[in-house]
Parts: sequence; structure tokens; C-alpha cells
Amino acid sequence: MVFSKLDAAIYPFINLASQIVKELEENLGINVILSPGSEVLKRSIERIKEAIYSRVTSVYRADLDVEILSHPVAMLLLKSIKDTRLLHIYAEAEKNRVFLNLLSEDYEKLLALAIDGFNWHVIRENYTFFIRFDDYLKASINIIDSHWKLVNRKLVNGYVELSRRDFSRLMAEAYKTRVLEKASQEEVIQIPEHIKGIVEELNKEVQGVLPKVDVRITHISGEFNPLAFPPCILRLLEDADKGKNLPHMARFTLATFLISIGKRPEELLDIFRKMPDYDERKTLYHLRHVAGEIGSRTKYIPPSCATLRTFNLCSPDDDLCSKVKHPLIYYSKKLRTIKRG
Amino acid sequence: MRERLDNEKSGNESFVKRVFKEYYSKWYGEPPKNYNMREYAFIISRKGDMIRHKAFESWDEVREFLRKNVPLHGFYSSAYYLQPSAPDMDAKGWIGADLIFDIDVDHIHTPCKDVHDKWVCLDCGVVDKGMPPEVCHRCSSKRIEAKTWFCEKCLDVAREETIKLVEDYLIQDFGFSPKEVSIVFSGRRGFHVHVESDIVKGLDQRARREIVDYVKGVGLTLTSKKRKVLLPPLNAGGWHGRIAKGVYELLNSCQVDDLIRLLGLKRGPQIEENVREIIKRLEEGKRCSTLSGMASKIWLKAVEKAIAYKRCEVDERVTTDIKRLIRLPGTLHGGTGLIVMRIGLKDVETFDPYTHAVAFKRDYVKVRVLNMPKITFLGQEWGPYDNEVVEVPLGLAVYLICSDNAIVIDEVL
Ligand code: SF4
Ligand SMILES: [Zn+2]
Ligand SMILES: [Zn+2]
Repeated sequence: MVFSKLDAAIYPFINLASQIVKELEENLGINVILSPGSEVLKRSIERIKEAIYSRVTSVYRADLDVEILSHPVAMLLLKSIKDTRLLHIYAEAEKNRVFLNLLSEDYEKLLALAIDGFNWHVIRENYTFFIRFDDYLKASINIIDSHWKLVNRKLVNGYVELSRRDFSRLMAEAYKTRVLEKASQEEVIQIPEHIKGIVEELNKEVQGVLPKVDVRITHISGEFNPLAFPPCILRLLEDADKGKNLPHMARFTLATFLISIGKRPEELLDIFRKMPDYDERKTLYHLRHVAGEIGSRTKYIPPSCATLRTFNLCSPDDDLCSKVKHPLIYYSKKLRTIKRG
Repeated sequence: MRERLDNEKSGNESFVKRVFKEYYSKWYGEPPKNYNMREYAFIISRKGDMIRHKAFESWDEVREFLRKNVPLHGFYSSAYYLQPSAPDMDAKGWIGADLIFDIDVDHIHTPCKDVHDKWVCLDCGVVDKGMPPEVCHRCSSKRIEAKTWFCEKCLDVAREETIKLVEDYLIQDFGFSPKEVSIVFSGRRGFHVHVESDIVKGLDQRARREIVDYVKGVGLTLTSKKRKVLLPPLNAGGWHGRIAKGVYELLNSCQVDDLIRLLGLKRGPQIEENVREIIKRLEEGKRCSTLSGMASKIWLKAVEKAIAYKRCEVDERVTTDIKRLIRLPGTLHGGTGLIVMRIGLKDVETFDPYTHAVAFKRDYVKVRVLNMPKITFLGQEWGPYDNEVVEVPLGLAVYLICSDNAIVIDEVL
């Protein structure tokens, strides 16, 4: 099967993708690719932000060269940030994107991608795939789900039977593992001076929103009372209702806040419906990720007041704001005062 | 008294050395695959430490080493290394490893052990019959010494597990060719199964753990994602088909009364009806169907039995260890004097260690046997003996001396 440039952009694990990366690097030169204001650099940063805020990266189709190059450049940025959590979030988001796209490929294409990208020993019979058990084990070992344990699979004559969906999932997992392995490879990376600033800025943003290991404010009462919402959240809700195109950080704050106080991802769809780029399936997908229902199962909480302030999302209008450091604390305190009457 | 015992023991040891030397003087052995990429290890004397990190360039060197040093035990690594003789594990350069299974009656409960096995706590002196516990039940000491025997029934269990492992799992499910699988009598109470194949060579510990869990039926889910009890069709592959077939055999081969007793069910009028329903569904089934109520209760109990019957009892520590030292086929086991011996798959059924793995088949010697139950050795019954001087075949004498059950009296060979 001959793959297209679009395939190389969506599936960075096929040989064509690395071939194109190599050619572009030779033709353009690394200095141009990483020059300040370069499209590739912008897209790479966007890609990492997408990973954090929506847990799934998108495919930028307007310029496929830029899209193809942005993955290795994003990896370069991640390597210089050296935050394993961030790396995992990126790898997971890349996996999610690959998985979502694989779901709409046909059987022939799936087979070709697996063989080209991972050298798997696979056979296809009508609507079923059969993969050799060693390939299966290597790719599935990180999936913590009893249905993926070898003992629960149909294994005959050395081959594991897989449905189309599971086959796609397995390929996406193998890609994730590859991203993580690539990132942990020891190699000297030279990043140009002017990028250091960009990396630092990105890192700061990331640290503000990554889930803290020791989250104290995990359990806020499931009560839902908009009267007790902090001013920042109220303003965001208003903006969303007006159909403003909210930046990543704003959507992330809204989603995590509402999920933290007990809303289910499906219930939040209405809030985002008016956004210009609304896509129901994708929105639900990343809401569920942020809620920790699927994927890496990390449940996010909203950023602290300090972080929100640096993003210009804080808009205090009452005294309580000066006494709290986190919007969720604001909410629980306000709830109590309301109850006391 | 102590001195006499030590003298006798050293008499025993020099006797064993002498007969082992005889054995290794004509030894050819059979090199494992890529024998020069393996680490070798030996125990030369009873009190001596294990000599590790040996490597050999040619098979003749191995023979030479055995002839000269006459070890009590010989091992080689399941792993292949770039530098097998490097003393530091990291410097060895691990390339891959065979997949090894250990079926050892030590870890399998056989009812006959209550008859022929004994253990003693070296700290408080408690003596008891049967399988030795992890810790002494009186003083919690771990210093436990066991006196074990390998009877006909134990052998049957080990043989059955081995055949099941190789035929049902390694060949049928995992698809290895019989040429890649070799079976080795461990020299004492079980069998080792070695898989030498490029497919498994590079697998890490976690992947090997999945293989062990598969073989042992660990982690099976019997319900759907929505927690409904599932009944797989008879022709389902892998474990689910194995369970379906197991239950089908069980339900068809038992009278209802026996079934009720076997599965520990409460007698009731719907049982027969439900059993018929399960059989019918198994026969018709094209895909998984769900069960509820009494039928699901009967099904789950029967499944438990089917799993216990079909699973394979292997020691997971051996299989998951990618740097394991394992006995070198062809060498003698210092605890029995029997040959650690490769056996063809079709010969397992008829394999008798006390005939086929006996290295010394001629000559008789006089020994004082401290304790021995009745044993069939070289096709003849011997014993039971209790602290008496008897003349027995050399092979049996070596066996008893190696296992500390006898003392040499007549040293003339
Ligand atoms: S202080 Fe905190 S709670 Fe108040 S508006 Fe600013 S971010 Fe929101
Ligand atoms: Zn004790
Ligand atoms: Zn026994």
C-alpha cells in the first residue's frame, strides 16, 4: 500500500513520516525550522498544549509539512523540559489521536500501517485480525485491564485474535510506547538560545496545570450551586454562552472546575456547544479524559488562583477572593456561608 | 558420635566423587543452543560455594572441565550473553533468554506426600508428615529440612502436567514447533521444559509473567465488561474454549447426584433442568451468551473445577526470571545421583527415572540404609528399610547416599 503525506502526518510511526522528516530537515535546515516565529515551532507548542488541555492532539491539515515536522520538534521541546508527567501526557494524547483516526480506516489500511510501522506479524481473515503473541505482549503490556491479559484472549497456534477496534487500540498503544522510548533515549540535544525562552515559558504554563501529586482538594461536596461559583468561573461561563472562542486554558479551567464539583462530562457538552470549533464526539472524548474516566485515569483539578492570574483569567470581585488560593476553596467556603444564610 | 558421623559423611562424599568421576570420564553431553554464549555454574563439593560466571569456547572444554572437577551439580544460564564470563551481571550484556518452565512436585500438592514425606524444624525439633510448610507451625522458624520421596503417584502427576504444558499450551496455543521444545528430567522430582525460539528470546519479565499466567489460568475473567456471567461456545479458542470444553466434559460425564456432590450444590428440582440448558447452549453456541440465576451458579462452580483440571502447575519464579541458572542436561544431580536427562515428548508417558535416569546400572554395594520406604528401582522392589545394612544396586546406593539416607560400608566397587 502506498501511503500519502496525510497518512504520514496522522501516523508518525510509518516509515514515510521519518523519511519526510529527514528530507525536510535536509532541505530546510534545522535553524530555519526552529527559527523564532517559524510555523513548525508554533505548531509544536500548540501540539503540546493540546495534549495538556484536551488530552488528544489534533491534525493540522492546512500545511502537512509543518504538521509532520511538528512532532519531532515537539519531542525536542519535551526533552528539554524533562518533565516525565508532561511526556506521558503528550504520549497519551498522541496515542488518542492515532486511535481516533485508526477507527475510521479500513481493514487493508490497518494491516498495512501495522506492518509498515511496527513490523508486526499479522494475518487478516475477513473481519478479524490475528497477531503473533510476542508482538501482542510487547504492545499490550502497559494496558491495565483484565480483558487485555493474554489469558483472556483467544490464542491459537501462536496468534491472538483481535477485533478491528482492539487491533487499532493495540497499534495506538505501540505508538505511545515508541514515543516514550524515543524520549528516554540518551542523546545530546542542542537547542538554540532563542528557544530556551519559549521552552521556559511553556514549562511554566505546564507546571501550573499539571495534576499535583498530592492533591488535597480532591473531594468537594457534590452540591451544584451556581450562586457559589467564584467570579472567574462565572465570567468564563458567560463568555462560553456568548460563543466566544475560549483559549485552551479557559476551557480546561471550566471543565475541570465543573467536573470537580460533580458534573458528568456529558452534562458539560451544552456549555461548549456554542464554540466555533465544536465537535461533539471530540469534545466528549477529551472531557472524559480530563475527568479521568478514560485514558491515563488522572483526574485533573482546576489551576490555582495564582496560575489563573498569570493567564488573565482571574477577575476577583468580592472579599472572599483575597482569602483563597484556589477556586474550589472559594466554592466550598461560599457554599457554607450561603447555607448559614 | 559427632566425629563418627563426620567421618561417615566424608566417606560418603569421597564415594560419591569416585562414582561421579567414573561417569564424567566417558561423558559427551549435548550442547544447548549457542552453548558458548551461556554462563555456567557448578557446585564442586558439599561445603563449597557455587562457582559462577564460567564460559566455554568449545564443547570439549566443557567435557574437560567436568572430567577434571567432577562437580556435584552443573548449571547453565537460560540467558544468552555477549560476555558470559563477566563477573558483573550488567557487564555480561544480556541478549535474550530461552523460555523455561519448571514442574516440580515440591510445589504441587499430591496426597501421597502425607505418606512418604517428612519434615523437621531445625530450631524447635518439630517433626511432621506431608508437604513442608513455609515456616514452622510451632516456632515460625524458616529453617526446615524436608525428607522427600518421589513415588509412582508423584511421577504420574509431574508427567501429566508436563504433557499438558507441552501439548495443550506450548504447541497448540503458543504454536511452537515440537523441535523448539525440549523436556528434561530435573534429576529429582520433576521436569524442566525449555523453549529455544527467536520468538521468545527477547521477551522481558513482564511478558513472561503473562505467559505463566496464561498457562496457570491466572486472571481469567468469566464475566463481560458489564459483569454478566458469560458462557463461551465450545469452539472458542484459548482459555474460554478450554473452559467450555472442560465444563461440557464434566456435565456429560457425571450423574446429577454426583454433580451436586462434586460442585457442592444444594439439591433442587431445577438443577437437572439447568444442567441440560447449559449443555444445550454449549452445543449450539456460536458466540458468548450470558447466564443468570441458578444456571450461572452451576456454571461458575463447574468452571472452577474445569480450570483446576486444565491449568498447568508450573513454578512462576523460574519462568519469569530471565537470568536463571538451570541444570545442564546430561549432568548428574548431586542430591540423587540421577541423570538430568532430555526426554522426547512421546517418551514422557513411559519415562521412569529409577530406570532411565540411573547412571550406574551394574554392580552392587553394601550400605547402611537409615530410612527408606518401599521403592521400585531398576525394575525391582526394594525396602522398606529402617537402619539396616543391605546390599543394593550401585545406582540405588548412590541415590540413597546422595540424599543422605544411607552410609557407605563396603567401599569396594
Ligand atoms: S481569586 Fe481565585 S477564585 Fe477569585 S476570581 Fe481569581 S482565580 Fe477565581
Ligand atoms: Zn520450629
Ligand atoms: Zn508421591
